[in-house]
Amino acid sequence: MTDYEVVIGLETHIQLNTKTKIFCACKADSWDDEPNTNICPVCTGLPGVLPVLNKAVVEKGVLLAKAMHSDIRMRSFFDRKNYFYPDLPKGYQISQYDLSLASGGYLDIPMPEGYTRRVSIHKLHMEEDAGKTKNAGNLRLIDFNRCGVPLVEMVTGPDLRSANEAAQYLIRLRQLLRWLGISEADMEKGHLRCDANVSIRPKGSDQLFTKTEIKNVNSIDNVKNAIEHEVERQIREVEAGNRVHAWTLDWDEEKNELRKMRSKETEADYRYFREPDLLPLDLTQAWLDEILADFPELPLERKSRFISEYKLPEYDADILTGERNLSDYFETAVQQYAGDPKKVSNYLMNDVLRMLNESGKTANQLKLTPAYLAEILKMVDAGQINTSTGKSLLEKVESSGRSPKSIVETEGLGLVSDDSAIRAVAEKIVAASPKEVETFRAGKETLIGWFTGQVMREMRGKADPKLATQILLELLKK
Amino acid sequence: MQLTIQEVEHIAELAKLDLSDEEKEQYREQLSSILAYAAMLQNVDTGDIPPTASVLPERSVLREDVVQEPLSPETVLQNAPHQKEQQFKVPIVMENGQ
Ligand SMILES: [Zn+2]
Repeated sequence: MTDYEVVIGLETHIQLNTKTKIFCACKADSWDDEPNTNICPVCTGLPGVLPVLNKAVVEKGVLLAKAMHSDIRMRSFFDRKNYFYPDLPKGYQISQYDLSLASGGYLDIPMPEGYTRRVSIHKLHMEEDAGKTKNAGNLRLIDFNRCGVPLVEMVTGPDLRSANEAAQYLIRLRQLLRWLGISEADMEKGHLRCDANVSIRPKGSDQLFTKTEIKNVNSIDNVKNAIEHEVERQIREVEAGNRVHAWTLDWDEEKNELRKMRSKETEADYRYFREPDLLPLDLTQAWLDEILADFPELPLERKSRFISEYKLPEYDADILTGERNLSDYFETAVQQYAGDPKKVSNYLMNDVLRMLNESGKTANQLKLTPAYLAEILKMVDAGQINTSTGKSLLEKVESSGRSPKSIVETEGLGLVSDDSAIRAVAEKIVAASPKEVETFRAGKETLIGWFTGQVMREMRGKADPKLATQILLELLKK
Repeated sequence: MQLTIQEVEHIAELAKLDLSDEEKEQYREQLSSILAYAAMLQNVDTGDIPPTASVLPERSVLREDVVQEPLSPETVLQNAPHQKEQQFKVPIVMENGQ
């Protein structure tokens, strides 16, 4: 039996999170809005109107291009992509064709197995979205709210070699988009859409064979699932001596199967030409410098730095750089604490992450600020509170917004390190336990743990255990 | 420059137009003469002239990302021949319902 290699390229549409649409001042995000409420003469293509490019779209596009190591064109052009479809009121989509915002580039995808897959970027351009249509019997209903919402279309080379790699690409792309703050990148809401081109070839071949295109997949799990199904199907076809046809396939989430949409008999003919209503887009060096002035350290770079600088295990570093706010939080807490970064990581991975998951907040929205977390860690280290008080303080600070110190003071949570208070209790315990004292003095010194426990219980856990042990030893060895 | 009937049919298909045989012949003649007229431009030697996308003075025209009032849905839909649930209602144009 032949061994096959899987060849996958992904075409993604990324909805930028600007406030307004790409060519008009209508609100861009209509997720919670009624149909046809965020539209104007420009985005509905009424006669006599002119598009005006949104500055923020260019800025976000530049950030993405930079993160993809693409070459940014100082002069780019918009083009008309002509096709006739009811969700496109102008009869054309304003897109970028041959001289788009950026060219080339790549994204490195670290695989859980340990290797890195470099995925080349073939296309990166800005364009406007079309409206939404839905079936209503033998008619269609059209909502134009989405018309003119800014997108970046990004197409990879045929560089991915498994459904897993495709899923990891999307996971890393989503992380990056959120990190850069340019898209909410929520696949369920269509902020990140993905079509997959899939083909197989005998292992060792470098030819590209007929590919199929999988469309309408709305989650990363489904992309993976759909590609796996399609690869199996193509292998079955080839093994049976049949050809793979250049089908477009639709993923049916409920039935967990692919459906043939239409075969590409007629080559798409979009008759692109320069958009006469828009001037060429000229970036100046000054503007570019301004956009890139705050360009952040990217997640994978930050992850390696966390490993080398803070000696974190890779697992911790990966989770702590999963989201930018969280990684900023970690780093601020480490600086404020000035102790072992791994301790900060433990608190974050065990307690703070749970807090974030339960509340739906991001790390920068917590009332438990990095400074407060550092304060708690310092109090535990100094023996002012015990570890379990420290943990319970996390919740208390978060719900009240008060500083850990003031909560410890008003609630009396601090450990008693007053020598005389502990001594009084210790003397009482020793006097009340003649049998245990005898056994201890006969040589069973491990009993000290029991004595300390008694003192701690009497003082409801608030004694400094080290000090209590020290005083007890003193009394018992008299 | 004479278009073939197949070319006319392709253009009609792109515009989702259903043409009769007479219309195809009629448009073939009309489109051919329009193309022939425009083809006169090919006689000009443009070898050393960079492609021109716009004849307007070069300047950057960009808009700040600030939301403005949209049209009301009533205004948007007032000329729609058919509507339902505040949406435009149109016939299905693709053979498979897409
Ligand atoms: Zn608009």
